[in-house]
This record gives sequence, C-alpha cells and structure tokens, in this order.
Amino acid sequence: MAGRSQHLEQIMENQARFDLNVAVENWRQELAAQPNLTVEVRRELETHLRDSIAGFRQRCLNDEESFWLARRRVGQPPQLGEEFVKANPAAVWRERAFWIVLLLAALQLWNKVCPDFEGKIVLHSPTWFSHHWASVELLQSLVYILPIICFVTFLANGRMNWMDSAFRFVFRSRLRFVTISLPVVLILQLFISSGSGEPADFVNAMYFTNGFLEMGSNFFIAEIWPLTVIALITWLMPTQNRRTPKRA
Amino acid sequence: MYKTAMLAKDLVAASSKPLLLSILADGESYGYEIIKKVRELSGGHIEWSDGMLYPVLHRLERDGLIESEWKEADNGRERKYYFISADGRKALKNQRQQWLAVHNTLSKLWKIKPASI
Repeated sequence: MAGRSQHLEQIMENQARFDLNVAVENWRQELAAQPNLTVEVRRELETHLRDSIAGFRQRCLNDEESFWLARRRVGQPPQLGEEFVKANPAAVWRERAFWIVLLLAALQLWNKVCPDFEGKIVLHSPTWFSHHWASVELLQSLVYILPIICFVTFLANGRMNWMDSAFRFVFRSRLRFVTISLPVVLILQLFISSGSGEPADFVNAMYFTNGFLEMGSNFFIAEIWPLTVIALITWLMPTQNRRTPKRA
Repeated sequence: MYKTAMLAKDLVAASSKPLLLSILADGESYGYEIIKKVRELSGGHIEWSDGMLYPVLHRLERDGLIESEWKEADNGRERKYYFISADGRKALKNQRQQWLAVHNTLSKLWKIKPASI
C-alpha cells in the first residue's frame, strides 16, 4: 500500500515537472539538428506535432502522454530527414546554398557597418592566410567574423525565436525581400560614400555630364557585388511554397 | 472472427496519390486532418505515418497537382493548408479511371458487383 502511494506520488511529481513548452522546444532543437530538413518542413512538422498533441489531450491524456505519443507518431528526426531528402534532394541543397549566400551577405554588411575595426578585411586571399597563419591578425579577423557566423548558423537552425518572426516577415515573398533589401543596401552605400567625402564630388559632378556619368558607372560597379548577392538570395530563397495559390 | 489486415506497404504507397487528391478535391486541408480522415474512412486499415505524408504532399505540389498556403487557424497558430489545382483535378480523373478498372477486373473475378467508371 505504501509502495503504491509512493508510486502515485512519483507519477504526480513527474507530471508537475513536465513542461510541454520545454519538451516541444527540445524536440525542435532535435529536428533543427537534421541537415536534411528545411526551415519550412520543420515548421510544418511542428504544427503537425502541436495538432497531434491537442488531439491526444482531447482524449483526456495528460500533457506528457500526449507529447510522447505525438512525438512517436511524427517519427524519429533522423528518419524524417532521410524521408525528406529522398523526396526532394534539390530543395535541401538549394536551402544550403541560400544560407551560404546569406552568410556572405551578412559578412559583407558587417564589414561595411564596422569599417574602423582593425581586423576589418574579411575576405582575404589565400596568400594572406599563408603569410598570417597563427598570427594576431588572423585571430582578430576570426574574432571579428565569428559573431556573424554564429548569428546566421543559429538563425538557420531555428534557435532564435525572437528573430524568427522578423526573418519570416522579410523573406515572405521575393518582392518583399527585394523592396526591403535594395533600399537598405543603397542607403548604406550612400552613407559609407558620404563618410569618405564623396558627396562633394557628387555635387561637382552634377555640373558636368561626363563626370556625372563616370560617377554613375563607379557607383554601379561598387554596387555590383551587393546587387549580385541580393539577386542570388532572391533566386535561392525558399518561397515557392508560400505564394497564394490559385484555387481550382 | 475474420480480421482484415492492414494495407500492405506497396499498396499504401500506390494509393496515396488518388487518396490525397480525392480528399483535397473535397476542400482544403492540412497534414494532421488528412491523416485523421484517411484513418477514419478506411476504418483503421490504412494508417499513414506522419513522416511519410509530407514528402508525398510536397512531391504532388512540385508536380503542380496541389498548391499550398500558410494560413492562420482557429487556434491562432499558422498552419499550411493544401488545395487541389486544375491539373490535380485532371490527374484525379485519370487516377479514378485506372483504379476503377482494377477494381472492376477484380470484382468480376471475385463475382462482386462492379462499380461504374
């Protein structure tokens, strides 16, 4: 009898200790560790898990039982990864390429925003690395780019809930991404140019058509890299599933 | 008492396309609801695993037979709803004829009343 009441106490204690939100969050992390699951697929699987938990709770099961049953129904994260990569390997690689380009863009942006930092030069040539191997400069450079790499990696793995909604807002559609990113890049470019005293040249150039054209072409060349990155991100971004469908 | 067995794996795979298209032809739906519907309609004989459903849905979407949209559900959370496309309806018509041809052939062999195509 005493053993039984102790068992009941144990069950009640376990139930009190079980936090559904924490459990779902841990499951999300486990899913995020699967390289073959895209952000959109993970989001879809999470809504499925939550629906499934709600379904079990309606059948009078407690949070913990509902979670474990739902989790089992959805399947093991590694197996899910395999199923999805079998179904569409191109989508997985496309998303990887998207994150790599986004990382490059973030590095470039970081480089422009903090122009006075000593370890500024981020994209060094291989010879630079061979000359500065195990040097203070290399270490500075790494310290400098590390926050950006961590930031993009965390974002890619869905570990930043607070950034998730902002990210979803910007990447909702290709048009929205272009209309937001183009002005940002152009304003940033103008801001950096004005810092180096170019506006005076710009004012002078206004009076000479040739100078103005030259200025325009220089500006265009300076913008080629960011514009290429924007074009690449726009092309690679995983939006094809988010358009409003034409109903049959 | 005779108990009907669960559907074999290859039959589950083959029947997933006409089943999904038929469910979506009735109206928009989402993953969890689709699985529930299939379980209920089949009397528990067809049990789709959640992990298997989404790759199939995504393949149908890539083939242009269905389309999807993230929409806010009654509980305030967003869910991905699937719809059938015009191409999907054509594919369903085609699938229907093929499955009924199989059904009718078997019906004649087993002396059961055939269905109308």
